[in-house]
Amino acid sequence: MEIPMDPLFLAWSYFRRRKFQPCSNICSKILEDSPYDQAAWSLKTRALTEMVYIDEVEVDQEGIAEMLLDESSIAQVARPGTSLRLPGTSHGGGPTPAIRPMTQSGRPITGFVRPSTQSGRPGTMEQAIRTPRTAHTARPVTSASGRFVRLGTASMLTNPEGPFINLSRLNLAKYAQKPNLSKTLFEYIFHHENDVKNALDLAALATENAQFKDWWWKVQLGKCYYRLGLHRESEKQFRSALNHQEVVDTYLYLAKVYQRLDQPITALNLFKQGLDHFPGEVTLLTGIARIHEEMNNITSATEYYKDVLKQDNTHVEAIACIGSNHFYTDQPEIALRFYRRLLQMGVYNCQLYNNLGLCCFYAQQYDMTLSSFERALALVANDEEQADVWYNIGHVAVGIGDLTLASQCFKLALAFNNDHAEAYNNLAVLELRRGHIEQSKAFLQTAASLAPHMYEPHFNYSTLSDKIGDLQSSYTAAQRSEDAFPEHVDTQQILKHLRQHFAVL
Amino acid sequence: PLRRRKRQAPKAPELPILERRNWLIHLHYIRKDYETCKAMIKEQLQETQGMCEYAIYVQALILRLEGQIQPSLELFQSCAILNPTSPDNLKQVARSLFLLGKHKAAIEVYHEAGKLNEKDWEINHNLGVCYSFIKDFQNSEEQLNAALKLKKHDRTFMTLGKVHLLAGDTNKAIEVYKSAVEFSPENAELLTTLGLLYLQLGRYQKAFEHLGNALTYDPNNYKAILAAGSMMQTHGDFDVAMNKYRVAACMVPESPPLWNNIGMCFFGKKKYVAAISCLKRAHYLSPFDWKVLYNLGLVHLTMQQYASAFHFLSAATNLQPRLGELYMLLAVALTNLEDVDNARRSYEQAVALDQSNPLVNLNFAILLYNHGDKKGALQQYQEMERKVNILNDSNTEFDPELMDMAQKMAAALQVGESLEWTKPVKDPKSKQRSAGAPSKTPGSSQQPLGTNQALEQAMSSAAGYNKSITLPTGVSHHSQPTPPSLALEEEPDVETTPTRAPQPEE
Repeated sequence: MEIPMDPLFLAWSYFRRRKFQPCSNICSKILEDSPYDQAAWSLKTRALTEMVYIDEVEVDQEGIAEMLLDESSIAQVARPGTSLRLPGTSHGGGPTPAIRPMTQSGRPITGFVRPSTQSGRPGTMEQAIRTPRTAHTARPVTSASGRFVRLGTASMLTNPEGPFINLSRLNLAKYAQKPNLSKTLFEYIFHHENDVKNALDLAALATENAQFKDWWWKVQLGKCYYRLGLHRESEKQFRSALNHQEVVDTYLYLAKVYQRLDQPITALNLFKQGLDHFPGEVTLLTGIARIHEEMNNITSATEYYKDVLKQDNTHVEAIACIGSNHFYTDQPEIALRFYRRLLQMGVYNCQLYNNLGLCCFYAQQYDMTLSSFERALALVANDEEQADVWYNIGHVAVGIGDLTLASQCFKLALAFNNDHAEAYNNLAVLELRRGHIEQSKAFLQTAASLAPHMYEPHFNYSTLSDKIGDLQSSYTAAQRSEDAFPEHVDTQQILKHLRQHFAVL
Repeated sequence: PLRRRKRQAPKAPELPILERRNWLIHLHYIRKDYETCKAMIKEQLQETQGMCEYAIYVQALILRLEGQIQPSLELFQSCAILNPTSPDNLKQVARSLFLLGKHKAAIEVYHEAGKLNEKDWEINHNLGVCYSFIKDFQNSEEQLNAALKLKKHDRTFMTLGKVHLLAGDTNKAIEVYKSAVEFSPENAELLTTLGLLYLQLGRYQKAFEHLGNALTYDPNNYKAILAAGSMMQTHGDFDVAMNKYRVAACMVPESPPLWNNIGMCFFGKKKYVAAISCLKRAHYLSPFDWKVLYNLGLVHLTMQQYASAFHFLSAATNLQPRLGELYMLLAVALTNLEDVDNARRSYEQAVALDQSNPLVNLNFAILLYNHGDKKGALQQYQEMERKVNILNDSNTEFDPELMDMAQKMAAALQVGESLEWTKPVKDPKSKQRSAGAPSKTPGSSQQPLGTNQALEQAMSSAAGYNKSITLPTGVSHHSQPTPPSLALEEEPDVETTPTRAPQPEE
């Protein structure tokens, strides 16, 4: 005869093995039998939370509203090199746009995209609405931080028969008395329900109950304030939590607040302070490197990423960033080694194979090139990725001089992603080589309207119009090119030449 | 008494004179104080209800300076309506039309203006420019010459020279530029252009003179630096050339021709890895430049990396299919990749395309000989001799290695009677040259060849030659003026966005 296991024990065991769905099912059963079983109730909240849990440190998403309407930075015109909002002013000797492609004006394309990656911010509301939705962050931008809303709806799906806890009927004051329950309940409210206001109420009651001596509650309070946009209040809470106990998480949260307040130097100092307490902590080092990268100081960013690799030689972000940096500084062989390291570690996706293919081609390892691209094509997840891979294959075709193949590749890239400005530009160049001036002009105009931050279509349009004598269009295009890439010598020359034309006779 | 005096000398009446404040507008305009000038113009136009010709005229000039040609054209047109007899207004209308790219309309208006004023060089000059844009070189030349007769200007000379070059008449262009330099000897642009033309014709002494002059007047002239550097490179002064390029590299850090030349400098100094990295940067910046690809192929042949060499050379042939030397190098790479059939085909193509380079035939002869086709080899050898004899008449120097190898080949083919051109008459000179030319030691034991023991030594060095044969062409090649140093490029500077490689990961 089989002896059934104790259901609570089994549920706990499932929870430890991170099998949250069975754990939650068993807890529901226990709760049906005895509705006042606090252990089962608490366990079920934890299981439900863990299903949708995302580390709060990495969730940093600014919607359009936060980018434009939120004026939390103090200095409006900061000195160059002290702000995250003035890209391009602090040049750390990184490659110029002529070598490394740009996402937005002045910010080079990065090696690793995080949810909080911002590449430049739009100037006005109108501009923000008009630009493609993924141009500023890693995900499509919504009017306010939209991800949180989506998480809230996700919670409904995990529990088809309705919400597990009805928040409006909870007596938070009662739960705040019991620290065992209140912590799990808080995490449930914060991460699962995304109800920041109730979470804040609970945290305030609980921290009062703990006589303001528990750093954990202070950090949670700070998190709530941060979500609500009260940056100074959250800074106060995090500071006070740090006084109680040094925790890496708190340093990261506090640095996040300072970055939102546009004080990168303060954040850097804080990170260094944290490194004194936790020497060689990888997340802190990565944080420093990220800030340097955001400020366009690629050289120091690479230094710190190297420090990261000394501590943790499987750090995907550091490897990818150093790899892309090597690729764009004329060292594709070394970049190839970094990307192959990623491959060895078991990373297996389209982007990696795409990068490997490019590195192989530019490092003259011709045997691996096309097979890598084939793999990349086999692994694509969406049309944009497919377009990017075809675009790169087009570059390889240009490299072997097969211009027909190249133009077919660029056309395929456009078929998969109609907004691929680079492909339009390159196609225009190929058309021009064949002598189709009108078609080339049309492609260049499309490219320029799709990606106003790229200098190439503007410059090409300017040279083309200059050739056929239309100096007015040439001048406007050259001016745009200068805006996108002020140090471009050829643009300067064409502008000088045009101004001369306008001035004399 | 005060009152009385006032009565005696009454104030001058404020007449609404249209041109009352033209002097002030003009002063502001020539001081480039455009904001004040605009305010003044607005006031004046309000006062006169838009009848003040000069205010409209200056307003149009300012708009044109700001790059707004269309509105400025409209203003000039209203000027022409206000004062239809002034040739200036018509000239400005035509100028605006020209700037908008409407060349035919501009020509008509210029002709109108020409009827009002026959002695104006500007009209003739601009007519010339317009005609050159619509490819009517005959008329363009006439008009520009007429302009020169009326008054000499650097710009007219420049345009006339360009028109001659476009029509394909280099000698006439040189004449024009010569007289231009006599007329204004301090114009760096004219000097550079003339120097480049001489360089193209191979008259190095004169080219050097003019480029040097240009550099004295304008030490930062990028084109002149590049051309001078490439001339020094031709004569083997790699260090001096590098110094020149260093100046240019600060000004133009992303110029493909510059990096190409620097790469070939390193190649000359036998720093092959540095050469490759410079050339690859040039190739990254300008993927359509066949010269860079050619040089890359050459360096890889020297490094004995035949797969890469083949890759770059075949890319170059795709972009520039009408060059015999490219096919020759391709064939050398193919020979080393053990694809004899294609190598032979490639040599045939090279021989068909090439007119004057004896190296092509010599290489082909070696290949044929190595694969037992003695008859074909002899034929190629004779073809080479024919080319050599033609060149001999024009007093060209030959690479000592070429002579050496030809002698060995002749011995192998047993046709050594007509080799007086290989006699070391010019030996001192050629030695001096070979000091600068890269790696010339044919390896003596690379490949077992032939069955005939007596010929073994000769042929083994022939094989060595086969490998290093590419070098002389390299020397002669990188001396060619690089594209942007020529005044006229066939295509606009093609730019592609560099690969958008690193994409999101994870």
